[in-house]
Amino acid sequence: MKRTLALIIVLLLAGRLFAYDIINPVGGRAAAMGRSSVASQGLWSILNNPAGLAGLDKMKLGIYYENYWMLDATAYKSAAFAIPLNYGTIGLSFNQFGYSKFSENKFGLAYARDFGRYLQIGLQLDYYLLNAGENYGKKSAITFELGIQSKITDKLTLGTYIFNPASLTLRQTINNEPLPIVFRFGASYRFTKEFLGQLEVEKNTELSGCSFRGGVEYEAFKDFFIRAGAQIGTNPQNQQGILTFGLGYKIRFAEINIAGQMHQALGNAVQIGMIFSFGK
Amino acid sequence: MMKKLLFFIGFLFIAAYSSAQIVNDTLSLEALNQLLIEQVERLAEESEEDADYEDLLENYIFYSENPININSDDIVHLLELRLINVFQYEALKNYRKYYGDFLFLDELEMVDGFDEQTVNIVKSIVYIGTDHSKDKIKVKDMVRYGKHQIVARYEQVLEPQQGFATASDSAILDTPGQHYLGSPQKYQIKYSYNYHDKIRAGFAAEKDAGEMFFTDRVSDTIQALLGKQYRKGFDFYGFHLFAKDMGVVKKVALGDYQIAFGQGLTLWSGMSFGKTTEGSSVMKAARGLSPKTSTSEYSFMRGAAVTIGFKDFSATAFYSNRAIDANVSLADSLDDAEMVSSLQETGYHRTLNELLNRHAIRQQVFGGHIAYATNHLEIGYTLHHTLLSAELILKPSNYNQFYFQGKSLTNHGIDFRYARNHFAFFGEAAMSNNKAFAGLVGITAKPTGYINFTLLYRNYDKRYQSLFSNAFGESSRGQGEEGIYFGVQASPLPYWTFLAYTDFFRMTWLTSQAYSPSWGHDYYLKVTHQISRRANFNLILRSKTKMKNSTDDHVFAHYPIFYTKNSVRFNISYQIGNDWFLGNRADYEHYYNEDAVDSQGFYICQDITFKPQGKPYSLTFRYAIFDTDDYNSRIYAYENDVLYSFSVPSVFDKGMRIYLLGKLKLFNALTLYARIGRTIYSNKDEISSGPSLIEGKHKTDLKVEAIYKF
Repeated sequence: MKRTLALIIVLLLAGRLFAYDIINPVGGRAAAMGRSSVASQGLWSILNNPAGLAGLDKMKLGIYYENYWMLDATAYKSAAFAIPLNYGTIGLSFNQFGYSKFSENKFGLAYARDFGRYLQIGLQLDYYLLNAGENYGKKSAITFELGIQSKITDKLTLGTYIFNPASLTLRQTINNEPLPIVFRFGASYRFTKEFLGQLEVEKNTELSGCSFRGGVEYEAFKDFFIRAGAQIGTNPQNQQGILTFGLGYKIRFAEINIAGQMHQALGNAVQIGMIFSFGK
Repeated sequence: MMKKLLFFIGFLFIAAYSSAQIVNDTLSLEALNQLLIEQVERLAEESEEDADYEDLLENYIFYSENPININSDDIVHLLELRLINVFQYEALKNYRKYYGDFLFLDELEMVDGFDEQTVNIVKSIVYIGTDHSKDKIKVKDMVRYGKHQIVARYEQVLEPQQGFATASDSAILDTPGQHYLGSPQKYQIKYSYNYHDKIRAGFAAEKDAGEMFFTDRVSDTIQALLGKQYRKGFDFYGFHLFAKDMGVVKKVALGDYQIAFGQGLTLWSGMSFGKTTEGSSVMKAARGLSPKTSTSEYSFMRGAAVTIGFKDFSATAFYSNRAIDANVSLADSLDDAEMVSSLQETGYHRTLNELLNRHAIRQQVFGGHIAYATNHLEIGYTLHHTLLSAELILKPSNYNQFYFQGKSLTNHGIDFRYARNHFAFFGEAAMSNNKAFAGLVGITAKPTGYINFTLLYRNYDKRYQSLFSNAFGESSRGQGEEGIYFGVQASPLPYWTFLAYTDFFRMTWLTSQAYSPSWGHDYYLKVTHQISRRANFNLILRSKTKMKNSTDDHVFAHYPIFYTKNSVRFNISYQIGNDWFLGNRADYEHYYNEDAVDSQGFYICQDITFKPQGKPYSLTFRYAIFDTDDYNSRIYAYENDVLYSFSVPSVFDKGMRIYLLGKLKLFNALTLYARIGRTIYSNKDEISSGPSLIEGKHKTDLKVEAIYKF
């Protein structure tokens, strides 16, 4: 009980009420780069900007785990699977925040496709389930998310992502409680073959203010990556910044990315993600 | 939720349907569009309202459809339209002087000071030809080469607004400003004829939403009360006839026209880009006489005017006589003289109040301008007199005690401009008949190729009065203001442009918002980068501090306090393939004043335009979300619109905004536009207030326009 109370206080401190943490960008790479990810590619794009799935080269399976205080109640888990086909990439995603008494869950079916060199479009249909425990019951919503990426020069990629663009609301609630719209756009710039920088801005309609994120990635040795980033908010109640850093290592059939975060109010957290590739 | 989903699906359906039918236009006006969008946005922010910009912007459309001959003297229009600055104008003239007429448009790239953006803009609005401007106009040519155009437009807010609800006579009489007597549709029709830009003629008619038309819902009692203001038909009618370059007669205008000279201190009817971004355009290039083709109902001339020119001299005489809206107060019982307590500038005649003020008095304006212009120097003198048919007596207040009152007003002034290759001096001094002066003087210089700066000082006496002043300044009144502006424009790196200015100003008398003399400043920085041929972005930072009365209820006297608005705006647009244009934008606004908490606003959007090459249709879509704490942190965002319509609505509170604009060209002659937009609020159940109140969470606007050319 004490732990739960402490958790509630800390979450309130952070200016974030319970819901909607699961729309945060995921993946060990994004987590290390201040969560900037709207213009990145790869498997975790399925949850960050599905357009980034379009160029996927192999069938991939990924798992991701994040936890601020290492409590059962604050665990954040994701899993994703994607397979490139002739007519684009399809994928499945799942993520969950919370524990048996309170959890947020999202199940997604994604499709992404390349439209020539300059345009990638991704779409994901989502089933969102909020499980608020015995007294409050379950609330759910069906919605979708859209993403665009455009590689406008060899070095510069732009991305836009909108979660729940039609502003669909939670069912089983009295006032049709809103599900937020989350709008992100940003850029990724490849300075050199080894060095990449990312910047993005996010607006979540259920939070006041907006967030800015940035990160860099440096391939120090072949297939070994060092990453760092930051996120800052303009929300008057939540102006705390987050500093992030991380490492990544890639082998032929798998990659592992770990990240550490330092949040000014919440303290430190660790994230870990693994991706396995199948086929040639 | 179901409803929302249906709406969204409907939207997608319309998108799919219209994309199957609609047209691509001829010119790639992208660069020009971007320039205008930004300036109109600034204008909306300055004037704090979404005004009618058609008057200001239709010239750009006209010249893009009737290009300017780059080898004629008409290139001065490029300067007047602010598409090039004075140095580029001088360089263009020099280029022709040394190398002869242009043979290819690509030669523009070789003109000193023409960067890629300028070249693109100018290319979209000029052509290469031999100079025929001195030729005699033949009736045969006028018939054969004349162009006719009809523009018809309908628009409406689809949700019921409170002012349109059926009301009893007693309710209308009780609250005469709260009930619209007409229908919620807006209609506009315009016909125009032009033979190049030498002869232009046309008429226009308009009925705003809420104004009476052929059918109305007005009872006999109200009809009797309205008297002659109860009419059938359009609310506004206008016509114009304009000709230029006929021997010594340089310009002649009949009907509706606009007139502007010098720096706008003495006489500048119509709108102008006040304090906008391009430092080198702070120096105004007045158009003299020009036809007024729009349906804006305020600030124009109706009558006749002529400009004659002989060698380096030119002279203009004009007369205007039209009815204007005014708030008629009690007539003096002794001598039966009419008095008015204010002049109405909105042009709306929707409610009983507005109708009773409609065309209440007559305004006569007459005067003239003489000018001497050589290659580098222009000097002019303007004199004009305004006569109202009724005495204007303002409700006495401290702030308005130096405002114009009475029946007649005389203004005169001297303006000059001296421009060489690398610098230009300009200025104007004006005086009203109460012996009050106003003056501005400026220098703009280009010490090296990639940098130019502008310095402007202005001092307008608090007693200076003019009904047609539109000069550079913080306040739109052109009175009681002193200030100094310094702006720099530099492109030290290829594909990068930096623009910055500071403006310090002081109001030397009270204003309606600040009950003591006040001061403030305005800082601005804009960085533009051309990423590639297909992509560019800009970043704008701005901070503006002014004073206005404290709203603190705990004090007995009003006293002004500082308030500051900081904004950050990021814009990126890029082209994908040949047919797709994408853009993103993010705005952040922070408002602060001494006696309230800070407030902030945020706006983010995605624009998608599909313009397939060689196809007769195009489609534009925007998806935006916004979240502002209050009205103070509102954000102005330009929206693409049907041709000849320009909207810069401000958004505040919380919600989303979507619109879809389609264009379809049929049989070359007919172009159709349709636009539907919807704002959906998530934190309120009532939108707007007073007669335009809507009960609900959303507001939907529809516009349909047809343009027929023959």
